[in-house]
Amino acid sequence: MTAQRTLDVSHLPMFEISSNAPLWWGQIFLAFIEGTMFCILIAMYFYIRLNVDVWPPPGIQLPHELLPAIELALLIASCAGSYIASEAAKKNDRGGIIGGMVLNVVLALAALALRAAAWHSWNFRWDSGAYGSITWAILFLHTLDVVADLIFTLALVFFAAFGAYGPRVRLGVHVDSVVWYFLVAIWIPLYVTVYWGPHIVGAP
Amino acid sequence: MTPLADTPAVELDDEPARRELERSWARRPGMYGWLSVTTHQAIGLRYIVTAFIFLLAGGVEALLMRLQLAHADNHVLSADKYNQIFTVHGSTMMFLFAVPVMEGMGVYLVPLMLGTRNVAFPRLNAFGYWMYVIGGLFLYWGLFTNTGPDVGWFAYTPLSGPQFSPGKRVDVWAQMITFTEISAMCVAAELAATVMKMRAPGMSLNRIPMYCWAMLVQSLMVLFAMPAIMVASNIFLLTDRTIGTHFSNPAEGGDPLLYQHVFWFFGHPEVYIIFIPALGMVSSIMDTNCRRTIFGYPAMVLSLVATAFIGFGLWVHHMFATGLPQIGEAYFTAASMMIAIASGVQIFCWLATMWTGRIRMNTAMHFVLGFIFIFVMGGLTGVMLAAIPLDLQVHDTFFVVAHFHYVLIGGALFPLFGAFHHWFGKFTGRMMDESLGKLSFWVLFVGFNLTFFPMHILGLKGMTRRIYTYQAEMGWDPANLLATIGAFVIAAGGVLFIWNVVKSWNTGVMAGDNPWSSGTFEWAATSPPRPYNFVYLPAATSRYPLWTLPKERVAVTGLRNDRREVLVTSIMDGEPQHRYVLPGPSIWPLLLSVLTTIGLIGSVFQFQWYYLGMVLATIGLLGWFWQRKPADIEP
Repeated sequence: MTAQRTLDVSHLPMFEISSNAPLWWGQIFLAFIEGTMFCILIAMYFYIRLNVDVWPPPGIQLPHELLPAIELALLIASCAGSYIASEAAKKNDRGGIIGGMVLNVVLALAALALRAAAWHSWNFRWDSGAYGSITWAILFLHTLDVVADLIFTLALVFFAAFGAYGPRVRLGVHVDSVVWYFLVAIWIPLYVTVYWGPHIVGAP
Repeated sequence: MTPLADTPAVELDDEPARRELERSWARRPGMYGWLSVTTHQAIGLRYIVTAFIFLLAGGVEALLMRLQLAHADNHVLSADKYNQIFTVHGSTMMFLFAVPVMEGMGVYLVPLMLGTRNVAFPRLNAFGYWMYVIGGLFLYWGLFTNTGPDVGWFAYTPLSGPQFSPGKRVDVWAQMITFTEISAMCVAAELAATVMKMRAPGMSLNRIPMYCWAMLVQSLMVLFAMPAIMVASNIFLLTDRTIGTHFSNPAEGGDPLLYQHVFWFFGHPEVYIIFIPALGMVSSIMDTNCRRTIFGYPAMVLSLVATAFIGFGLWVHHMFATGLPQIGEAYFTAASMMIAIASGVQIFCWLATMWTGRIRMNTAMHFVLGFIFIFVMGGLTGVMLAAIPLDLQVHDTFFVVAHFHYVLIGGALFPLFGAFHHWFGKFTGRMMDESLGKLSFWVLFVGFNLTFFPMHILGLKGMTRRIYTYQAEMGWDPANLLATIGAFVIAAGGVLFIWNVVKSWNTGVMAGDNPWSSGTFEWAATSPPRPYNFVYLPAATSRYPLWTLPKERVAVTGLRNDRREVLVTSIMDGEPQHRYVLPGPSIWPLLLSVLTTIGLIGSVFQFQWYYLGMVLATIGLLGWFWQRKPADIEP
């Protein structure tokens, strides 16, 4: 037994649902990783464009304009669902969490349906030239991230509704909203690259 | 927050707290318990031991290469075997030894030095380790089944593309990268979060130990550099080879040079990812053994950060011979020379620390001084290589081989060995033998210079890298023989080191908590530390808290010990913010890594396995997230 000066922390709260949580920072760091990857893909798009005279290559139709624009609007709107859910998580409002995340998923699924429709109409594949490779890579990887996040959002809805609802789930909902903001935000430059790229840096 | 100086002194009874912590941090029994461990000491030690096994493998490959090159027209290895062995040697040393061992040391030491109980994401930590082991085994499975990659550790296209490298060799390499990068990124994210959010109360930014600063900077570099290699090896190389994309096919609008850009955007920072943790180790060894605070702490921290930033602006100096525009290359020359300023600041701060300190010349200090000598030589050839005319002359010759072994062995391996001697007492509870340690240092130091100094001369005489033999009339025999002899001297030093480790682990002198009278928190824990590190978390009252008087030190109370509770503090000032419960042991990290492996290895042979892998990984993650109701946590 030794006499020591002490700092009592028993009055501090458990599991703060905010950017003070280590998990929030872990999520930010994962967004750094994904963000760097997408930035490199954008750089690759324009690098590859420098190598050829005609962009997009002959025979490739220009991408749809209307559907992706609506899709982008829907994705931005779906952030409202994430925001509602994460604010509800901070206030420990179970109904708000579920409602917000369902809104998020529904709008995101509608956006994905539009993306699929526009994607389906392309007359080129990943193996028809470097233009096809890079545009497919961007779209495939972003869609993969979006689908993965939606699956885990649904899992959180399930946990919040039927599972071990508690501060861990609430923290999960909060950082899930951060992931979603990131995925939507990074889609803006990706969208500009894939759908406006051929117009901005294209040449017949 | 209450100023730490004003807190009252009370009598603390350690025993009940200790008993509760032993129970809540216990590992599950048996094999299952071993596989489901999530404590950072266990996983850190596994990283270190595994990495040293890969170092041995890489060393054996180096000896085989040196045997082959010992004299002209030698035929120990065939050309094809030689190609596989130098590729696997480089890949092992970079991806399976250097990065993982630095991560492992960080996983072990950072939570201890910060005064907390574990890393921020213990299960992610375990997952990263399993991914690393599987990736390493996969590469060696390739080598032993004659599917070892044979295109150099950077696998340039078009040589590595579908046209010139049919078969599965390059795919094995590319997928091994995926495994090890996932592992490195897991550790980076968790260490960065730990350093930012889980420091001891009172540990403001200007009290973070230099080693933890180094690991924070290194982790952030990993987060920005490693995605590039994932793009290069996975999106580029694997898809070009398996599903017919055209990223590096000039006939279809692609460009092989693009691969080099993306690869070196990772590859150059990679050098600093290995080197920066070593700088942190040197600072820790230096302040302890000079028995004074490190000279120029703010300048040291800033030069670490500057190194990290400039490190991202150098990649083109690996590509001077590719015919890029001269004006662009000149910028990279300037940047390459600028980084010598940041490294120079560190060197001079260490010199000042030694000058004004009372040096204790133990084995660790020997390795640190060896590091300064060798690394300065490697740095000088680095500045030479940054000049385009000289680089064009010696590009792809043994001059470059000599340069980067001086930088990497001198800059990373010597500090690592020093660190190993320094912290061995903490890892195992016993001290390394000092006389044997000093002997192994001198053997390694002499062997190293004997091996790699002649390579400068060979390079200037025109001997190119990656040739499996040469003709007698080239006049390269004597220097090559010298290098081969040196390689075996290094091997002898390695044997001495291993002997010392084995002997000391069993019969070494007991270390006690703080054998070197160091100032940082890891020495406040028992040797070896218990899984919870500290009975009462410490608070930081200065930059070297153990060098303050015991009555001035502060212990944190009020955390619950019947579950894995830790304290979260603010980023800038280390003010306590809230309490946090870390997860306990879990088998899911191992299961998830196996499920991911099915997809990753399957896709080497058939791309569609990726989809199966994604489904399986999703199932694994859902299992990971699944939890029974934690009865003791109010919503």
